[in-house]
Amino acid sequence: MSTIEMDPVFTAALREVLLATVRDTPRVRRRWRWRAGTGVFLGLTVAAGGVALASGMFTLPGAPVNSPLGNVVTATRTGSATIEIGAPPAGATDLSLTFTCLTAGTFDFPDGSSASCGATDLIRPPIYRTSIDVVPLTVGVDNVTIKTSANASWTLQAMYVNQVTTLWGVNASGETYGVANQNGTPDLIAVVIDDGNTHGYVKESDLNCAGGGDVTSPSEALAWDKVSQNRNVSIPVYESNGVTVVGTFTVGSATGPNAQTVPLSSLSLGC
Amino acid sequence: MVRSNGDEATAWTAVLGNDGDAFVAIFDKHRDRVYRHALRMTANLHDAEDVTAGAFFELWRRRKAVRVIDGSVLPWLLVTTTNLARNLTRGLRRYRTLIAALPRADVARSAEDVALEQMEEFEIAAKVRDALIGLSPSDAALIMLIMFEHYSPAQAATALGISDGAARTRLHRARTRMAAALGALDDDNINKTEETSR
Repeated sequence: MSTIEMDPVFTAALREVLLATVRDTPRVRRRWRWRAGTGVFLGLTVAAGGVALASGMFTLPGAPVNSPLGNVVTATRTGSATIEIGAPPAGATDLSLTFTCLTAGTFDFPDGSSASCGATDLIRPPIYRTSIDVVPLTVGVDNVTIKTSANASWTLQAMYVNQVTTLWGVNASGETYGVANQNGTPDLIAVVIDDGNTHGYVKESDLNCAGGGDVTSPSEALAWDKVSQNRNVSIPVYESNGVTVVGTFTVGSATGPNAQTVPLSSLSLGC
Repeated sequence: MVRSNGDEATAWTAVLGNDGDAFVAIFDKHRDRVYRHALRMTANLHDAEDVTAGAFFELWRRRKAVRVIDGSVLPWLLVTTTNLARNLTRGLRRYRTLIAALPRADVARSAEDVALEQMEEFEIAAKVRDALIGLSPSDAALIMLIMFEHYSPAQAATALGISDGAARTRLHRARTRMAAALGALDDDNINKTEETSR
């Protein structure tokens, strides 16, 4: 079949659409969310790096292992500020940042991500308003700037680390399991539920579907947001074998009197 | 223009910064190879074009999760092509309207005439496709990368996010299943299919 080439008209049109798609895509702004009791390990963000860093004993497959280098720099500020970290020591690959909001407000981070803290977050233990992020070093940049809304207070702990990424596990069905990292997303993604008391895995396909993964246009996104205001979707949590169910993971942040949580299997989302 | 994997790695970095020219350079470099693989998987010209388009749309949508092997995104594209072709309806659902809007040349003529010219190859391709569909998605991707696209087990393992040893073990198992599924084809035909895929 090497003699067959794709329809040139189709090819040219596809090429134009791809070009326009890339050019018209805005840079993504990642929004940090404070979640109560549940959380997806995102390898380079939230908990995985932090757990490995903090305890030095618990590492999920695919998670980065961060070896601390140098001292922890701690700073507490109100309003926007730049924290000087100092020059990176030899072997440093990343910067571990532990951020905690102390008052309500919004906080913008150097990588374009942002976080918001509400009054309800402040009456909970600090873990619910703390984000641990491990970010690659930027050559020549030895400081971190946090921009905030007016009078918003925060604490930042920063430390240089050397990061090595571990391999994902593979279960008997051939599915990969662990945490998402720079190599992509495993078939089974590590999660914690029950306020951190249960560890397990959700299927990437389930998570994608429950989170509105098939939204393809702004109008669809708006429609999904409207539906999601009062609806959370629960998906099964498995052991690493991908078969044994150990609980459910809730996707969504709907709260209030009309909020309900429904299993993914009860919805016809077509994904 | 992208000439080597070194250039491609540079182009891919530019893609991650929303560089449209870099993205279409990668499209130009890999589209024929992706299309031929899609044709092998679908045995249908029209479907193969749809799958090829879907694979590149996915390359963009999932750009932050793409595994780059030896500086190239081609293995990831081929694995994605395999997965899309295994379930056309579901895999292409999000792009259906977009793809349907793309103009085509004389569809009836090209599809029928070329299909007639390549009838024997299509028949073999259809059997290979059926055999691949009988495997798990990851095993099908493994067979495709190693047996049809001639990647090393180590490269395939990296593309699929599994260990080298696991790739070799699963390859052995998948080959056995493929051989059973392709019982109607003799070795010559299988070799022919491999050669025509290059």
